[in-house]
Amino acid sequence: MQNLAIPASARTPAIDFDFSKNHLKLSGESYPEDVTEFYKPLFSALDSYLAELGPGRSCRVDFELVYINSSSAKAVMMLMDKLDAAASNGAAVDVYWFYDEEDDTMQELGEEFGEDLENANFHLEKMSA
Amino acid sequence: MLARELFDIRSALRNQGIIFAYSGYVTEAVLSGVGDAIRQKLLFDDADTKTTRSVFAVFVEQMQNMIRYSAETGRAGAAAPSPNGIRYGVLTIGQENGEYVIHAGNLVQRSDVERLRLKLTRIRDMNKEELRALYKEQLRGDPGEGSKGAGSASWRLPGAHQSQLNSILLMWTTSTRSSH
Repeated sequence: MQNLAIPASARTPAIDFDFSKNHLKLSGESYPEDVTEFYKPLFSALDSYLAELGPGRSCRVDFELVYINSSSAKAVMMLMDKLDAAASNGAAVDVYWFYDEEDDTMQELGEEFGEDLENANFHLEKMSA
Repeated sequence: MLARELFDIRSALRNQGIIFAYSGYVTEAVLSGVGDAIRQKLLFDDADTKTTRSVFAVFVEQMQNMIRYSAETGRAGAAAPSPNGIRYGVLTIGQENGEYVIHAGNLVQRSDVERLRLKLTRIRDMNKEELRALYKEQLRGDPGEGSKGAGSASWRLPGAHQSQLNSILLMWTTSTRSSH
């Protein structure tokens, strides 16, 4: 299926969903005017991709978010749920949460999300300088 | 307004350490613009990254709360806020004793006061761990009253749910910062 690449804007993250390489990435900041409008196409694309992911398949998702508002955190939570569901269907899903070493908030947020993943593998990593 | 009166307003604000004061229609465009200005100011001030992030995060959440839920809209005498109306709010950012302080306020319906007071008091009295747990619970979110159900639009958190989420995030963010 078609890869999804959206450049970052002032208030939305860069999206680099390389479905052919099974490597998805979100990076930057997220506090869009309309969270639904921004994340809906992501959810659709992700749903299609994950529907085809089963035992024997693997996928890596990198979150490199510097700032997200509370509405975006809700959207990220939904992304995490979808990834975890795919993992429970047998796919090997690795979620990487990168945070700035000096950012306790993003580190803690990462830990929160990580705690809730039951089937996907979670990796909390510092961003390289 | 005469220059003198305008100058007096400026002085009054300055004397209270207020560096940004916005009172008026609050829109996403205002958020973008003021947000950029705040960022530049913090950069100029050489504020450390943690502080800059906290100030910015609080600013965004507070502003978005007002944009979505202020009960004061442009129509004088309106009984209830129009869902598509533009909202009024007031937001100030200042410095007191070397710390940044943000105040944000908007009118709410009288009928909502007690419910809000209970929720906010409960949140205010929580410690960091309790806040974290509550935030997570809210993030998972049972949609509150007025939600549209399980469809894709339902997670645009309705009313008090969103502002409660924001309040929790604010307390958590600032408590995270002050613990260092």
